[in-house]
Amino acid sequence: MVEKQKFLVYRKNPGETPRYERYTVPLKPGMSVLEALFYIQDHLDSSFAFRYACRGAICGSCGITIDKFPQLACRTQVTAVKSTKKPLKLPELTFGEVPNDWNQETEILIEPLPNMEPIKDLVVEMEPFWKFYEEVKPYFVREYIDVQPESLQSFEDARSIEHLVYCILCGICWTCPVNATNSNYLGPTALAKAYRFMADTRVDDSHRSVIAGRVSKEDGVPACEKHFVCNRVCPKGVKPGTAIQNTRKEYLTP
Amino acid sequence: MSVKEFDVLIVGGGLSGLRAGLELSKKWKVALVSKVVPIRSHSGAAQGGINAALGNHPEGKEDTPEKHAFDTIKGSDYLADQDVVMFMTKEAPKIVVEFESMGAPFSRFENGKIAQRPFGGAGSPRTCYAADRTGHALLHTLYEQCIRQGVDFYDEFFLIDLISVYNTVTGALTLDLTTGELVTFRTPYVILATGGFGRIFTASTNAIICTGDGVGAAFRVGVPMQDCEFIQFHPTCLYGSGILMSEGARGEGGLLFNNKKERFMLKIAPEAKELAPRDIIARAITTEINEGRGFEDAYVHLDLTHLGAERIKERLPGIRDIAIDFAGVDSIEKPIPVHAGHHYSMGGIGTKFDGDYCETSLDGLWAVGENAAVSVHGANRLGGNSLLETAVFGRYIGRKMLERGLPSRPSLDKIIAAEKATLDNIEGLFKRWESNSGKKAVEIREAMGETLSRNVFVFRKESELQQAVNDMKNFQKDFENVSLTNISSPAARKFNYGLVRTLELRNMIDIAEVTAFASLWRKESRGAHYRTDYPTRKDEDYLVHSMVIRNNSGDLEMHTKPVKLGIFEPKPREY
Ligand SMILES: Cc1cc2nc3c(=O)[nH]c(=O)nc-3n(C[C@H](O)[C@H](O)[C@H](O)COP(=O)(O)OP(=O)(O)OC[C@H]3O[C@@H](n4cnc5c(N)ncnc54)[C@H](O)[C@@H]3O)c2cc1C
Ligand code: SF4
Ligand code: FES
Repeated sequence: MVEKQKFLVYRKNPGETPRYERYTVPLKPGMSVLEALFYIQDHLDSSFAFRYACRGAICGSCGITIDKFPQLACRTQVTAVKSTKKPLKLPELTFGEVPNDWNQETEILIEPLPNMEPIKDLVVEMEPFWKFYEEVKPYFVREYIDVQPESLQSFEDARSIEHLVYCILCGICWTCPVNATNSNYLGPTALAKAYRFMADTRVDDSHRSVIAGRVSKEDGVPACEKHFVCNRVCPKGVKPGTAIQNTRKEYLTP
Repeated sequence: MSVKEFDVLIVGGGLSGLRAGLELSKKWKVALVSKVVPIRSHSGAAQGGINAALGNHPEGKEDTPEKHAFDTIKGSDYLADQDVVMFMTKEAPKIVVEFESMGAPFSRFENGKIAQRPFGGAGSPRTCYAADRTGHALLHTLYEQCIRQGVDFYDEFFLIDLISVYNTVTGALTLDLTTGELVTFRTPYVILATGGFGRIFTASTNAIICTGDGVGAAFRVGVPMQDCEFIQFHPTCLYGSGILMSEGARGEGGLLFNNKKERFMLKIAPEAKELAPRDIIARAITTEINEGRGFEDAYVHLDLTHLGAERIKERLPGIRDIAIDFAGVDSIEKPIPVHAGHHYSMGGIGTKFDGDYCETSLDGLWAVGENAAVSVHGANRLGGNSLLETAVFGRYIGRKMLERGLPSRPSLDKIIAAEKATLDNIEGLFKRWESNSGKKAVEIREAMGETLSRNVFVFRKESELQQAVNDMKNFQKDFENVSLTNISSPAARKFNYGLVRTLELRNMIDIAEVTAFASLWRKESRGAHYRTDYPTRKDEDYLVHSMVIRNNSGDLEMHTKPVKLGIFEPKPREY
């Protein structure tokens, strides 16, 4: 007999109040939560909405909340959900009224990402997320050249920013409690991105100070309350909280 | 009906679309539509690197674009167009240096230069990399530059169909997923950069969104599909999920073993060993498994353990994470279970013999990146050449179009009539899908994938290919009757991914049909196309590109296009 898994899923139509629906999904070996969501869409309700692209934890599309823990759906194995230890001190996350009879032992609860406006089912509004991203001017401003030699960077300097570079812009670090209360907060993602550029030895000083100036404002680094939730939930080891702390040390203390 | 007017419409926010957009938006009004936010594109999944004869590697100091061209053409089993390859390999060092100047975080050698590693089929170590996440590094860098320049993005817009008047493209019909509205773009130039179509197979390293939408749309307006029989099967896909284990893993010294602890590549390619070209290794692995020397009859071992923790963490951190997350294997301690699976589609939108590179037979329509057959990969692509292709030809198209200027267009009333006809057709299609009582899309998609994966795989033969061709005709019939509820109002279409996946299937099913058809037609073995019943290459008959169209009675029709030779004489391909 095929094993089955029950899901309790947050559903919402644009402009309506959310509801929770139950679905039963037959398991396949190694099935990810993303595959389970596809099963629901393919077989049970074609209008069930969630974002996806790579299914390999690299594109950052599929962040959702699974059993009150924000994660990438594609990287999470269905059978591991109940046994995986959650990060310490996750903030309490509420999206709608979870039915009283949610069986926490057996049913997997699926909800959207926190602190972003839900639009339809698990699809959330990411406009503010991208706006704040663009606001820190996360790019080089050098002239392009296309003749050798390339500009040099030491092995160590390149290596030192690698973990920052590999942010996949999934928005999971917006689980931060500050994001819950302060809608102007640039957020851990944009601040980590800002630090990725400030810490890159190839960036010129004038652009570095433009970025530093922007993140030093009230809604930037000073708004961080050092919960470090971002470091704990980030699926890619970017450590945004540490980047914020470094920015504070290197650029904000007079 | 909502209509937006621009000078150029670019469909696709992967590396090729972004690079074209960056070039063109300096001067023109450009709209870049993408079904996902550009940084979510599949380019971001590329791992191993991008090829350029920089000469930074101590063992590659004498490397040149000519050697790079030779390796590429030999790798292509002489089906690549040689002038285009030469252009690409000469541009390569410029493109990599340009990426660096845009801020791309390449890995470095001790002397501070961009690091390079050996890759399969290459005579010199010329693959430049950013650890094993090169695509991510390049995609984010290019997106950042597009943001800096203020490129006009239309994210989460889905290309449905191209609009044309006689033989000229005049725009495209899209679905705005954020509102559910159908939106027409009216533009004299359209660039298709919609990426690969690996999802026609059950097991593919490609993202779920790699469905060949641009190829399908172009085919429906009469542009041929070129070289679709050539599909690269990557030798090392992770058992279970099919996720890629980069060739970089072998470039760094990873070894392949069967269940008898034999390094079987030693007997197959004594010189190149684990770094022989992909098609050769994919067949070797499949043979090991078929002949009972695999594990659980399903995979062989890719062993990195001898490289040591330090080197794996430094050079292959992404690979290590993936194997841990998706297969529960830490490559520092244990070998990784791998098998062959679909990886790259050499074929795609057909390009003109006598036009500029990337130009199609429909005036104003250009194609670039994995969805195009330009053809720099011919019958088999070398790893590290396709990231290169995206940026080289993205930039090239931009420059070429600016140089040519905006083309003259058909009269406005004709354009408007064509737009209306396209819209009516799609609204009619949606109504039909709603009233149909046939199968669900998922059933057809899965059956199609299984047929292809069984009959049009690493080893091919007449009877199986014929079976696939017959099956595809039935799937087309099933798709005529596909049923899908609640899609006719904009409110119901808002973020309706069930609809998106059905529209994608509409494209995939055509591509799958052409793939089977062209594979049956090509009675020889060349590059990735291996026929057990015709095991040798036959240049007298088949040194041509296949070009398939659908004729007026709805049947597929094979045409051919000459290969541009003249620089390197075709020789047997041995490693
Ligand atoms: C796992 C993996 C690893 C790889 N590693 C390497 C490597 O190391 N080196 C190398 O050279 N190559 C590698 N490749 C190949 C290379 O990554 C791709 O060929 C290349 O990135 C394709 O780029 P692209 O711009 O053509 O398409 P993509 O990056 O796939 O972009 C396609 C774009 O089109 C958009 N799009 C598609 N359909 C529609 C539609 N209907 N409407 C609107 N928008 C649409 C998508 O949103 C996306 O933005 C790898 C491929 C895979 C699968
Ligand atoms: S820092 Fe981590 S959690 Fe935040 S967006 Fe980047 S990858 Fe996601
Ligand atoms: S689908 Fe890309 S990160 Fe999950």
